[in-house]
Parts: sequence; structure tokens; C-alpha cells
Amino acid sequence: MSSTLKESSPEFEPLIVAFCCNWCSYAGGDLAGTSRMNYPANVKVIRVPCCGRMSPMFVLRAFQMGADGVLVAGCHPGDCHYSTGNYHGRRRLSAFKRLVEFAGLEKERFAVRWISSSEGDKFAEEMRLITDKIKALGPNRKMRDTRWKTIN
Amino acid sequence: MENNKLNRLEIITKTLSQDLLGGRINILLGWEKGHYWWQSRPLFIRNEKELGNLVWDSFCAINLSRYLPELLKDYDKIGVLVKGCDSRAFNRLLQDNMVDRSRIVLYGLPCMGMLDYEMLLAEAGQEIDSIDEKNEMVIVQTKDGKKQVDRSKVLMAKCRDCLYPEPVVYDQMLGEPFDRKQPPERFNRVADLERLTDNERYTYWEKEFSRCLRCYACRQACPFCSCIECFVEQENPRWLGKAYQPSENFIFHLVRAYHGAGRCIDCGECERVCPVNIPLQEMNRKLIKDINELFGEYEAGLNASEEPPLLTYKPDDPSAFSEE
Amino acid sequence: MVKMIAVNKLDELFSLLAETSELYLPIKNGEVVLYQQWQPGSLVTLDKTNSAVSPKDIFLPRDETYLQYRLCGRQLEMDSVEDVGDIIAFGIHPCDLKAIEMLDRVFIEQDPPDALYRERRNKTVVIALACDSPDPFCFCQEFGIDPLDAPGADIMAHLTDQKLIFHTRTEKGRELLLKAGNLLEEYKGAQVDKIIKTADFGLNVEGLVDNLQDRFTDPVWDELYLSCLSCGICTYVCPTCYCFDIEDYGNESAGERFRCWDSCMFGDFTQMAGGHNPRAGRKERVRQRFMHKLQYYPREFGDIACVGCGRCLRSCPVNLDIVQVIKKLGGVKDA
Repeated sequence: MSSTLKESSPEFEPLIVAFCCNWCSYAGGDLAGTSRMNYPANVKVIRVPCCGRMSPMFVLRAFQMGADGVLVAGCHPGDCHYSTGNYHGRRRLSAFKRLVEFAGLEKERFAVRWISSSEGDKFAEEMRLITDKIKALGPNRKMRDTRWKTIN
Repeated sequence: MENNKLNRLEIITKTLSQDLLGGRINILLGWEKGHYWWQSRPLFIRNEKELGNLVWDSFCAINLSRYLPELLKDYDKIGVLVKGCDSRAFNRLLQDNMVDRSRIVLYGLPCMGMLDYEMLLAEAGQEIDSIDEKNEMVIVQTKDGKKQVDRSKVLMAKCRDCLYPEPVVYDQMLGEPFDRKQPPERFNRVADLERLTDNERYTYWEKEFSRCLRCYACRQACPFCSCIECFVEQENPRWLGKAYQPSENFIFHLVRAYHGAGRCIDCGECERVCPVNIPLQEMNRKLIKDINELFGEYEAGLNASEEPPLLTYKPDDPSAFSEE
Repeated sequence: MVKMIAVNKLDELFSLLAETSELYLPIKNGEVVLYQQWQPGSLVTLDKTNSAVSPKDIFLPRDETYLQYRLCGRQLEMDSVEDVGDIIAFGIHPCDLKAIEMLDRVFIEQDPPDALYRERRNKTVVIALACDSPDPFCFCQEFGIDPLDAPGADIMAHLTDQKLIFHTRTEKGRELLLKAGNLLEEYKGAQVDKIIKTADFGLNVEGLVDNLQDRFTDPVWDELYLSCLSCGICTYVCPTCYCFDIEDYGNESAGERFRCWDSCMFGDFTQMAGGHNPRAGRKERVRQRFMHKLQYYPREFGDIACVGCGRCLRSCPVNLDIVQVIKKLGGVKDA
């Protein structure tokens, strides 16, 4: 296989992209910050208005550009700021998650979580959990654009 | 059966001729023979002479519904011959507002499945002079004599698991329904792949996609791929370049399959047209299988007024995101 | 020089050649045969008549990066990427080699020549392979091509009776065979004369080029394009197609520039900045492609840009291949 996983080394610091919905999970992230809860700096947050705005192309692009893990965080079903956005997001992301796993991506690498704006602790915890999981898995080589390293 | 076939073609041609001359349709989409008896190509019929070239046999795999959106710009009323899969393709186009139902006349043809010439050759072991079809048997004539072959053994890959051989939507049925054997479970191949490990699956798909020429024939032949600007052609943002990088090939196929989630009618045209034999239907079938499991059994293209599953939701949908 | 090798010893030969060159041969990949670089374990298939895709990508790769750039402070640094080693193109059929010679006229015999293509072409030793069992889609003889002989090859090979026999034609070819040393044996057998007949579609292309001169607005094009799906299969499998695009991959600080295949059948092939697209419709594109093959190219370079390899007949999903087009344009023998 051309993209053999390197064994995870103690120096490996994963790059994790977290797409957080503005109204719940991003606010939850804010709360974690203001409450001085620690979560790893490996997680880079990208704010979207709603998890229903998520496109599979964002996730794939992240992996292409070297992300080792991607997390999508949205409001709990029933609590979406736009009423039904996360219901659509839930269906779309379930189907998509299974599809990328079918393509061979490890199931820990792409995760979807429901985090409310009051769950600062859950936000920090989930970020810690995913960082640990990806650290154990090692760097991701699947679907990575090998040209990316030559320009960075 | 041969005689029945000729009579049937005569009946079909007679009906179509009446409609063409009578003004019910301005143009008819059918098939004509290709260079060899085991090939066919689309036929665009506007007069009696062209109608004379019409054929309907076991080598008419091409989905004619695909031409409707563009033809509707130039012709007022269009007639089209549709097999089971083609009729569901029509429903797909209808659901995507790509065709105007009132201007199309659908002539339904129940289909026993198209035959694969390479498989016939393999069964015959030598050059084939002609074939005869009797119900579930195909009799292959070579210079050494006749050989009987089970039809199910020489069907095209896309026809083997067909669940809807009879048109589900039509204005006039031009053939007789028939009994057929229950097809094999169509998700078998997907299940086989699911049983592999992540790395084995990735290696499998990497190898298959490495052959991809990015010719986009799969997209062009597909009934659900009707976007006016495909994501591939978008410049801003540029999702895909033109390079044959493994990651870009993966992304093209994953995203295309995903855009068809809940919309793919499983007609198999994508796999049939691929010049390098990539098993595209397996990606699409994975999504169909998952959507059935997660959100309830659904078959795209059966009912044009039913909402596709990814355009709708239920408050109690499963939140199946645990990694355990 | 005439040498031979037993078919069951070929892997040893390939292994030796691959040590110092990029060795391309017809390899079974999944269910199709493609010209790919040899690796131990490759399923080399020399007896199948034609690969799914022509070997033109040995000289005109599907994508080739030729420039890398980097912004260092306020300086732009550029490196050319030009490391082409020795190449061996093994098992090229006479039709495909004729097509490559057609590409040579476009890429090399111009001023200035295409340096990338020329470099690869000059560094390649071509070992052509005779076809003695054409399939129903082969019609090279319609264009005066002999399936048993490729005049432009460095080495002409014949597969016969579990042996592969090499006839050298050029100095390059001799040198290559000498490198193989005693893996090869002398061949003293008789020259076998075979009569091969490729498919007869009843074509007559004499006078077609002149005939098409003024047929740009002929109503035949209004019919011919209707079944075209506007994919790129024909252009990508065809050995005489050579359109390419140039794209960049990167961002403001670094990136690379590459050349890649493009297809005139794609809707956005002639898309211009500002929105104008002279070939927005399928009719315009179908007409362009076949006028290029049957009128524009031969007018400039002499040969009709078709070698009868049959790939478009095999691969076009709607059978809108060049034989069909020639027939519709009247290039048929009188009944």
C-alpha cells in the first residue's frame, strides 16, 4: 500500500480539524476557554453556522491537506438553532461517515459529536479524547495529497 | 422465441409509427444495431425511414432517458423506449426537475436483462455466429454446433441483481410481463468488502481508483448526475484539479457517490461505461444499503413524488456515531 | 541482429531491463490491460491484442509536473523538474507506434519543439510487437498499417510458439539487446510469413480529407452528435489524441505547475474567461473532434489521425466511434 501508516511515535502531534456549529458547540468551546479548561492545541476549530452546512468535501479536503482526524460538532438533535439543520446534518453525516469507512478510513478518524453551548467540559473532554485516539493511531496517509508536503 | 421477438418488434414499430406520423411525438428515442450484432447505439427517430432501423433485443443496454433534458430544448413532444431501469432513471430526472412529464411519452418494455458478449464468448469458447433466446436459456451457435447456456450466467453485471425489470412508469406498455427468478442478494459484494480490514479496503479502492482516467463517463451516463455545474468544474472553490493524484481520484468518486446518496437508482450504467472496469456500483450500493438500514427501506426512482431520504429527516433518526 | 527468448524466461529479462530503465509494458490491472511500469509480480500480457488505453502516456504522461515554485521572502524561486531516465517501451503494437509518430510531428517537428515530450521520446527504446490475432475492432489495415511490422521501431518482436523473437532495426535496439547478454539466444529459425486480415468495415477514406474541406456547416453534424454523452473516453483511450491542459497546484507561497491530459469533449474545454464558450454544445465538439482527425490534422501533417486501433469502438458507451462517423460522412466503398 502506498500510504502505509507510520508507527505512531511519541513525538507525533496529530492535526485535528474540528468543524463546530456556531450556536452550540462553538459556544461550548468558548465556555471551555473562559472556564480555563484545558484541551489540546492539536485541535483547530473552524466555525460553521450549523452542522447542516457541512459538506463532505470539507472533510475530504481536510484529510487531503494533512489532517489526521476530523471532528464535526453540532447541537443536540432537537436543539438546533435553525430547528431542523442538525436533523439534516445527522442523516447526511451518518451516511457519509459510513462511506469514508467503506473507503478504508479508520472509524476513529472522522467523528461526529453533539455538544451544547453549556457543555464546556464535554467540549474539552471530546477534544482530549479524539486527540488521544488519533495519537495512538498515528499519522493519516489515506487520501492525503502527497504534493502538499512539497509546498509546505 | 425468435419469431415472437420479430412479431413483437413489428407490433412495437407499428405503434410507434402511428404515434410519430400522428403527431403524438415529434421524435422517438430507441436503439439501432452497432457495427456487430452484439452492439447497439441510440437511435433518434423522426421519420419512417429512421424507424426502420429500430431494434429491441438483449443488447440494448444504453439508458435513453439520459438524453431527455437536452432534447426537450429542441423538440416539443418526445417518445422514449424505457426498460425497467430506464423508467426509474426517468423518475429520477423528474424528481430533479430535469424533465417535463407532460411532454414525454414513455413506451415501457419489460426486460429480461441484457447479455454480456464477453461472457457469451467465454461460454462458447470460440467465435459465435448467432444466438437464439428461449426463456431462461440462451442457445449459442458456433461453427461446431449449438450450446445451451443458462441466461443468468451470461447477463451483464448490471442486470444480474436487477429488482425492477418492468417499467415502473409508462404511458404505454409495449411488451408482455414475464416470470423471472429471484435475483441474488445485491449487497453481497458490499458485505464482502465490509468484512475486510480498513487497510485492506483502502488498498483495494486505491488500486481500483488508480486506473481512473477521470473521463467522467460515469458522471455523463448517470441519471442522477444532472447538475448544471458539477463540483468538478467549479473554479471557486477549486475542489479538484486535473491531476491524476490518488487523493483526487478518491475524492472524485467518494463525492460523486455521496451526491447520489438516496438518489442512485442502481442502474449500473456507471460501471458499464467505465473504460477501465472500476467497480463503481459497489460504492453506490454501500450507500443504498446503509440508507436502508439507517432510515428505512427506500428505492430511488420508484415513486417520483416520494422525497429522497437525504432531503428529509425524522426527529428520531439514529445518531449512529459511536465508534464502539 | 536476431535474438530470441523463451516466454517463461521473460520475467528475468524484464527484471534486468528494469534495473537501469523505466520499463513499460502491457500489464493486467484488474480486468483490463494497461501500459504500466514493470514491477516484480506484474502480470505482463503480451498476447492480448490491445490495451484499454493507448501507450501514449509513456511520452505524454497523464500528468507531469515540470516546474516548482517557492516564494522566499520577496524572491520567487523556480526549479524545473526534469529527471527523465532511460525508458523502454515494450510490446508496442504497430498501430500505436504509428500514432506516436503522428504525435512526434506535433511535439517534436515544430519550432520550438516540446522539450518534455522530446526528452522522453529520445530516451526511449521502442520494442514493437507484431499482432497476429487482431480482434473484431482492429482495422489498422484500412489506414495502410501492417499489423506485423512497425517500421519506426528500434526492435521488432514476434511472439511465436512460446518464444519471443527480436529483430533489431536501429543501433539503439542493438545496444539494448547486447545489454541483455546471454539471457537471449541466437535465433536461426525461418521467417514466418503470415497473412492477417483486420476487420473490414467497408471503409474507403480516399479523398475524404479533401471532401471534408468545405463541410463545416454540413447538416450531417446535426445528426451525428445526438448520441454523444460528452464524456472523455474516446479522447483518453485514443492514441492520436494529444490535447493537454496546464494547471497549477499550490498557494501564494509555493506550488507546482503540471501538464495533464484534457479532452475536447468536455463542456468546459473551450470555456474562456468572461464566459464565452465557442463549443458550448455537443454538436460543435463532436464536429471539431472528427474534423480534426479527418481534415485538420491530415491537412497539416499528411496522415488521417486514426490508426484503426479500435479502442473507441470498444469503449465508447454509445458506439459513436470513428468508423460510424466515417461511414456517415460517406467514406465507404461502393456497394
